Amino acid sequence: MNSDVMTLMTGVTDWFSQPMNWQGPGSIPEHILEHVTYVLISTLIGAAIALPIGIGLGHGGRGGLLAINLSNIGRAIPAFGVIILVFLLVGYGVIPVIVALVALAIPPMVTNSFVGMREIDPAVRQAAVALGMTGWQRLWQVELPIAMPLIMAGVRTSAVQVMSTATLAAYVGLGGLGRYLIDGLAVRDLAQVLVGAILVAVLAIVTELLFAGLQKLITAKGLQQQG
Amino acid sequence: MPIDSALPTRGSVCSLQEDTPLTNDHRQRVSAEDRDTHDSSAIVFEGVTKRYDDGTVAVESLDLTLPAGELTALVGPSGCGKTTTLRMINRLETLSDGRLLIGDRDVMSVDATRLRRQIGYVMQHSGLFPHKTIADNIAVVPRLLGWDKQRIRERVAELVELVGLDDTLAQRYPHQLSGGQQQRVGLARALAADPPILLMDEPFAAVDPIVRAHLQEEFLNLQRRVQKTIVMVTHDIDEAMKLGDRVAIFAQGGKLAQFDTPTCLLAAPASEFVVDFIGADRELRRLALERLDSLELDAGLTAPRDEIVARARSYLQQAGSSGIVVLDEARAPLGWLDWDTLKQADDRARIDSLPLKPWRHRLYVHDNLRSALNALISAPGEVMPVLNAQGRYLGVIDQLQLTRRLS
Repeated sequence: MNSDVMTLMTGVTDWFSQPMNWQGPGSIPEHILEHVTYVLISTLIGAAIALPIGIGLGHGGRGGLLAINLSNIGRAIPAFGVIILVFLLVGYGVIPVIVALVALAIPPMVTNSFVGMREIDPAVRQAAVALGMTGWQRLWQVELPIAMPLIMAGVRTSAVQVMSTATLAAYVGLGGLGRYLIDGLAVRDLAQVLVGAILVAVLAIVTELLFAGLQKLITAKGLQQQG
Repeated sequence: MPIDSALPTRGSVCSLQEDTPLTNDHRQRVSAEDRDTHDSSAIVFEGVTKRYDDGTVAVESLDLTLPAGELTALVGPSGCGKTTTLRMINRLETLSDGRLLIGDRDVMSVDATRLRRQIGYVMQHSGLFPHKTIADNIAVVPRLLGWDKQRIRERVAELVELVGLDDTLAQRYPHQLSGGQQQRVGLARALAADPPILLMDEPFAAVDPIVRAHLQEEFLNLQRRVQKTIVMVTHDIDEAMKLGDRVAIFAQGGKLAQFDTPTCLLAAPASEFVVDFIGADRELRRLALERLDSLELDAGLTAPRDEIVARARSYLQQAGSSGIVVLDEARAPLGWLDWDTLKQADDRARIDSLPLKPWRHRLYVHDNLRSALNALISAPGEVMPVLNAQGRYLGVIDQLQLTRRLS
């Protein structure tokens, strides 16, 4: 048992220390690049869909629960199922993967941006109206800046989730860090599987930290010292 | 009796409210000419009704004219439609029926956002924007109106001072300020573009009583300077009486029970509802609204300080008075000389060599009757001199005279 673990650890260290794994096709940087590309594309598309919905509903204040419930149902559908489904419909390619990841990215962003908008102090909203701001002015000058921390928290959750789920791309023959998992399992190379797992975990943590920093950076100063 | 004749004849003052520039007791009134220049900001409700979709009627065919340059307090139990009435003025609520005019402009014919930029609005919870500094909060409406930066900066500095804030607070954020300070910022923000009209929705309700009294006092002073047309919603009848030039009392269901000056509401309440709402200490409130110069003061018995005892004694005997007010050369009262002291004194002595009794309180003509009564109650049986603003003797008053005013 103990020696198994030792062997595994040595395997992993070997993997990371071999120069051939750091350059050329199928190397670690290449898989990371593929992985991050999937994540960036799907998170951006997801945000382009989810944020207007959540923010729009939150601004208007109507139909929000419906949207949240729908997006939660979406959350219940397994990403793997979506990949297979879209794969069957459109065939081989990057599209099934992106569709599945976008579907995964949408719910946290809809929910958070809606809640962020709704949680703005009613007195503040009312003041904005009473001072004579138009709908757009209220949105850009008052509501979005105040809701921004929660909106960004939604984007961050989505991005981290997508980052860890993007491994599924490998199932339909694409690249990314999932390759190590799929290929490793196929040849029972546990060290390779573990390498993949470690890399995904590290990327997820890095994403988390990046967004936390970003969130702090764009949160208005007046909102920071508050609870 | 001289005291009763000093009372305003109720019928004449209290019914002619529309055309008479009223003399309100606790502040300088706007003269008739001044009011004309403000008339474009008079607010007129003509048969205004607000009915909600579910059928509840918040305000029912309201006819009301709020004169320009005056502060009208809307007061009543909760659910009486006073807030709805206020919010219809800047179209936060839409009228179901009737017309609402500002000057001669129908509010429904004006673009809502433009209308609102011309009307200041102060809320119970300041509603400050938490992500903006105090200076930026105050600058909101001037920015919406497209003022240039220099003008905005100057105006903000001016307002910070006007509402009594320390200018070091300008770069802070709202959550760093106390409730009272936030309310001041809310007021500054509402006044930023110098709107002729100011709407205030329970502006002092959320601050603690001590701060509130202070803010109210300062606000009154501010209003004397800026002379805006102000509509203020409050559930506190004391606040309404203290701040309002006129008070509109609403009853449940959005009906106007009475609209009058505080003095007239107290002197001539229109219904049992109004009597109940004003409360049991109505007479005491009335005292608070009247000043000593509304009384015909008793001239009293006085003597200059260099008078001799013998002569003072004979004055006193002739007048049948219990004492005499001794005045100095400037006719400022030195003290009270009573019969017992005078009786034992040497005939040829000057009266200012005798032990004179000083007064613990000084009453001035501009003091209100309530504080006069307080002073008199704390010194039972005493006769107190009333002074003009320069401290010269005008006459005397005693407790009996005041209590007679109460009945």
